[in-house]
Amino acid sequence: MSMMITRRGLALGGTGLVAASSFGLASPALAQTDPIRIGWLAAMTGPSSAPAIGFNRGVLFAAEAINASGGVKGRKVEIITRDTQGDPTKAVNATQEMISQLKVHAIWGPTNSGESLATTAIMARGKMPNIHPCVVDSLIDTKKYPNAFRIAPSNTQWDDAVRGYTLNIAKVKKVAVVGDTTGYGVTAANASAANIQKAGAEVVYKANIDATQPDMTPDMLRARNAGAEAIVIWSVSTGMIARLLNTRAKMGWDVPFIGHPALSSGEIASLLDKPDNWKKVYCIGYRSCSYGADGKLPDRTESLVQKMSGKVALNDTLMWWVACGVDAVEMIAEAVAATGSTSNEAIIGYWNTLKARPGYYGNFSFTPDEHNGYPVGDVIMSDASSGRNGTFALAPGYG
Amino acid sequence: MLASILASGLAVGAIYALIGITYNTMFATSRVMSFTAGQLGMLGGVFGSLFMLRLGLPLLPALVLTLAACALLGVITEYVAVRPVLKSLDQHLYVLSTLALALMVQQTAAILWSTEPQPFPRLVGLGEGVWDEKYWLPVAACAATILSLEFLYRRTLVGRAFLAVAEDNFAARALGLPERNLRIASYALAGAIGALAGFAGGQLLLAFFANGALLNFYGFVPVALGGLGNNRGAVIGGILLGLFQQAANFMVGGIFSSVAVFALFIIVLLAAPQGMFGAPAARRV
Repeated sequence: MSMMITRRGLALGGTGLVAASSFGLASPALAQTDPIRIGWLAAMTGPSSAPAIGFNRGVLFAAEAINASGGVKGRKVEIITRDTQGDPTKAVNATQEMISQLKVHAIWGPTNSGESLATTAIMARGKMPNIHPCVVDSLIDTKKYPNAFRIAPSNTQWDDAVRGYTLNIAKVKKVAVVGDTTGYGVTAANASAANIQKAGAEVVYKANIDATQPDMTPDMLRARNAGAEAIVIWSVSTGMIARLLNTRAKMGWDVPFIGHPALSSGEIASLLDKPDNWKKVYCIGYRSCSYGADGKLPDRTESLVQKMSGKVALNDTLMWWVACGVDAVEMIAEAVAATGSTSNEAIIGYWNTLKARPGYYGNFSFTPDEHNGYPVGDVIMSDASSGRNGTFALAPGYG
Repeated sequence: MLASILASGLAVGAIYALIGITYNTMFATSRVMSFTAGQLGMLGGVFGSLFMLRLGLPLLPALVLTLAACALLGVITEYVAVRPVLKSLDQHLYVLSTLALALMVQQTAAILWSTEPQPFPRLVGLGEGVWDEKYWLPVAACAATILSLEFLYRRTLVGRAFLAVAEDNFAARALGLPERNLRIASYALAGAIGALAGFAGGQLLLAFFANGALLNFYGFVPVALGGLGNNRGAVIGGILLGLFQQAANFMVGGIFSSVAVFALFIIVLLAAPQGMFGAPAARRV
């Protein structure tokens, strides 16, 4: 018996299929097997690509490890990466693609604040579960962005750590605060100086220096003449930092430098007149990725290093980037495993209940009213020149 | 403090002056202010570091290769960004074309070289403190350039041909001078001068892709102060700029020194719009 397919019949059938799928009749069967899609907004190329390259190693390692052990309740983890090149416009386009076309279940990234400022509101509109490591304070707001969770310290937490070390551990009372002339450098230096004064210490000198200024002698002389006992640095410019350190050495001044993680950048080593110019420089670090006087990392981090041995290169990146990438993927997989759902509400709801969840980078805690999940006490100062496979020695003064 | 101001002020002033001369050399034969001048300075540092530190070449071959590479970029500038817009100079399209090429050069350097400043080697290993070679090398390079240009323009046929084209393009062509080839040669020469600025100042500025924009900006000031096309004016303007900038760094701090520099710049231009050493343009009526 032959069956005639008429145009009307085809239209009716098509309408029925659409209606059925929109009521969810077909979805339960698919939900058991389709992969957990994680959007990964990574600045893999361009001027600020170093962190994303490090994060990416952790992301791929975690996804492969989860899939090798059978996935999450039989569902594989699929990492969908978009290279944003550090460009907010590209990050916005990739976010929209991930939400509306790729239908990812959660997004990890972007990894720099400029991009995140552009994408956070878009993700909030789409109620997309989002984890990021960006430091700008305003990126976390549980009322405006209830979907956004930070798994790295905020600017305020960095500032607290630097001030705490300078005043309480190094016991310094007269501080010079130096930033570069970028928006970040000016804002961070102003906030830092204000908080140091609030804490009862004296800011004897504050300056914002053009990162391309070839001679740092004027500022260093002024800081010394003002009686500075420590110089707090807020800049990502390795050229400026190296010039300041070379000038300090030429002046025969042994004032400690304390501040931004860029103080430990490997780029600085090549710009120094002598390796010793990097001594007495302490930068923001993390307890989980620091080794003590015995040269040992915390047990959990050491176990990750062992697991990654021979598979993931750690000698040209920072351990915290890699560990943070692992934690991000595991947090998403864990939310699906715990709730049995990939719905936005389930994932966000699960993260809101986390209390000191043990991660490799840190033990994250979130509540519906607090999405800054990194423990403040784990932000410590490192000896900037002690880098070893992306980890650092604790600065002097920690027990 | 005074020694520091003089040492670093003269050094950066000499670099600015050399970039000013680069602008002038390109302007002389084309009437075009090419905004690739600063990028040539940047590439002088980058190529110097590349040839000496990464490829391990000795000083002289590295210097020659650096000058040659930038001379080639000068020629490319003439072909790509200048020649196509020469017919419509009054529309100032060269601003767009040379800026676009400058941006392409800068981005290429960022991608292929590094976005972080890279070290530049010591060249002759002479001097310490305020007599360190990083301070006197740019001054020596500037002096050598000025003397060489004086010799070229006054004592050689090619140099006189350059002057003839600069003085009156149409008359020079009418006399049978190869105006196009002279223009290409002047762009190659400008490329080499810009490269020398970056090479001699490499220890001060480092091999950094962002130096191009800085040199474009500060290299233009001596041209405006000294009078367009006036190399001696550019040298005096550059040295004064460097000294004033360093003095301002010491007196009022880095963030305000740029304000001080440009406040003075505007005041000078208000007082002498043609520059301190430029003559007002005569217009036949």
